[in-house]
Amino acid sequence: MATTAVDDRRSGPPGPLPDAPPGPRRRRPGSRLKRRNTLIGWSFILPNFIGFALLTLIPVVTLFYLSLTEWNVFGGAEWVGLDNFTRLVGDPSYRTALWNTIYYSAVHIPATLVASLCLALLLNRKLRGVAFFRTVAFFPYITSIVAIAVVWNMLFSPEYGPINQFLSFLGVENPPGWTTSADSSMPAVIIVGVWREMGYYMLLLLAGLQTVPPELYEAARVDGAGAWSRFWNVTLPCLRPTMFFVTVILTINSLKVFDLILVMTDGGPGQSTLVLSQFIYAKGFEENQFGYASAVAVTLFFLCITVTIVQFLWNRRRDA
Amino acid sequence: MKRMIPTAAGTAAVVLALTACSSGSGGDEPAAAAEGPVTLTLAGWSLSTTPEFQTLADAYHEENPDVTVELAEYDATEYDTQMIADLAAGSAPDIYVQKNLKNFWTYQDGGQLMDVSDVTEGLDPATGGVDFYEVDGSSYAVPYRQDSWVLYYNKDLFEQAGVAEPDGSWTWDDYATAAEDLTSGLEEAGSDALGTYQHSWQSVVQGFALAQTEGADLTSGDFGYLEPFYDQAVALQDAGAQADFGTVTTNQLTYQAQFGTQQAAMMPMGSWYVATLLAQQESGEADEFEWGMAPIPQADASTTGTDATPVTFGDPTGLGINPALDEEKVAAAKDFLAFAAGEGGAQALAEIGITPALLSDSVVETYFGLDGVPTDELSQFAFATHDTRPENPVDADTAALQNILGDTHSEIMSESSSVADAIEGAESRAAAEVG
Repeated sequence: MATTAVDDRRSGPPGPLPDAPPGPRRRRPGSRLKRRNTLIGWSFILPNFIGFALLTLIPVVTLFYLSLTEWNVFGGAEWVGLDNFTRLVGDPSYRTALWNTIYYSAVHIPATLVASLCLALLLNRKLRGVAFFRTVAFFPYITSIVAIAVVWNMLFSPEYGPINQFLSFLGVENPPGWTTSADSSMPAVIIVGVWREMGYYMLLLLAGLQTVPPELYEAARVDGAGAWSRFWNVTLPCLRPTMFFVTVILTINSLKVFDLILVMTDGGPGQSTLVLSQFIYAKGFEENQFGYASAVAVTLFFLCITVTIVQFLWNRRRDA
Repeated sequence: MKRMIPTAAGTAAVVLALTACSSGSGGDEPAAAAEGPVTLTLAGWSLSTTPEFQTLADAYHEENPDVTVELAEYDATEYDTQMIADLAAGSAPDIYVQKNLKNFWTYQDGGQLMDVSDVTEGLDPATGGVDFYEVDGSSYAVPYRQDSWVLYYNKDLFEQAGVAEPDGSWTWDDYATAAEDLTSGLEEAGSDALGTYQHSWQSVVQGFALAQTEGADLTSGDFGYLEPFYDQAVALQDAGAQADFGTVTTNQLTYQAQFGTQQAAMMPMGSWYVATLLAQQESGEADEFEWGMAPIPQADASTTGTDATPVTFGDPTGLGINPALDEEKVAAAKDFLAFAAGEGGAQALAEIGITPALLSDSVVETYFGLDGVPTDELSQFAFATHDTRPENPVDADTAALQNILGDTHSEIMSESSSVADAIEGAESRAAAEVG
């Protein structure tokens, strides 16, 4: 309906004036035009919408239904009401996964934000070979995740890895076991996560930085503002829309983290890096408990949505 | 994942097949009720490097020209996920492989396997792993392949270190002592090879603990039986007689390279590794050295010695029939199962270096007739004589319990917790999360 209304307005100028008496002859081409415009409208939306509906909307709606059932793929799903959710409350592995997800996000989000902002500021100057350095910073993001995991695991190797050799050289007596120890596996994964993603967010922030009007810097300079003051009072406020967008995307991606952890530690040692997405994968695709896995996915969905809504509200308050 | 058939085994088998190719001609019964040409589809994985499926299909077709067996290829690591999806969608092949026992319950309980008790009844009683597929007195798959774990050892390195070779009488304590003696002996001889190599799979410790401990039951949720085995595994890596878990996982060590390039003098591993090692020695990926197979060390002396039957573990690989199969094809499909699990299939598989479920004297003879397979008595004994218990006892909770124990394995081997604490943690998780 909304489409039709828009189409009517669009077809206004070349068509008859709105107050012109509607004659029978004019009516036919008008309705044909209307139909044509509607069709054009649909043809723009449909390809995307069909893909979205088939691959996202229907599965998501099914997910909500499945979370209230017990289903092992074969045969019908048995309705169990909220049983899966009550089971979640008493499941120690779920609590571990939830805690690890929050731990990962709480460190990964600010660390990535700061790292990518620093990179963006550094590479927003007129340096020689700046394009080269920007590409280098972006490179980890387009490198295969499996290759990243293999190489970083070797770097982190407790005895032979260059990282611990370097730490020993600096005089650290008991360097961490990184991915081979339950205490340091999460920090190790976060380091790799930040390294991998900062290039991508740097690119978004760079785009934001380009929109900051140079006059503002000039004016600030004339007023005697130092570098820190210019950053704090000019750059950051102008960058706020971009920062908001980056934070939202970064938060959702951190809460959904899966591939990196799966290939680097597979949740281990023990359950020290088990996160929600991986828990869903294990319950669903390894143990064929699709109902229970769906219930976990529903909680992850609400976690993402709640955090995002809070971010939106906070952003709106700052805007006001 | 634990028992994934190494792709290199396939390469090996191709080489072997070329050198020892004469088609399977066992004394199997002729084709049953198949009238006119019948085409059956059979699932397999990584077909270019895993020739066992084509071998079985060809050998069967040769005996039964009316029946053609076509292969449907699946991904090796995602086999069960893809098969479950295809079965649910009604597009799975007529006959499909039970890659291990971990998911057998899912298929059987989900009504995705036809009752094949009549085929099982006709099998040679010596066929290994038949009972593992029994549920409430009926059989739902037949084993055609039964790998079991043995101890591989490098005769050259034993000689270099001046340590006595295994003689079939070893317990795990003897093995641990030998591993430490080998490590120090080799070090003195100027080699940096270690005494043994235990891969990072949970089955390397847990499979033996479950098979060799009296009264051990995975599904009981009581995992105390793991403790002595883990104490020993941790002690071995602490003593430096085995690469530690962190090094194995962070450096992605492969067991093929560790034993094949003489980094370790011993290695407990499944019998599928024979074909891989032969092929890698042929291609130059592995060094040339004298090696042998010994029975896997035992938990106590009562099952040691070549007059006893050593206890080891291994899941059979089986064939099951998709119940959605056309009715007129059922007889042919069952006949194919009988062939694959019988003498004809076993001969064809032995010729390409694969361990069949039926180890009759003539099959063992065929296997040890292959070029490069060590023919000493102990190797033959280790290969042919064993009481093989399942790694994954068939139960609704097996998959979930194995996942919990997988976490326990990495927790203990990375020495993030003590053995006792980690096992206690696994038991409380099993109580809270499973069943």
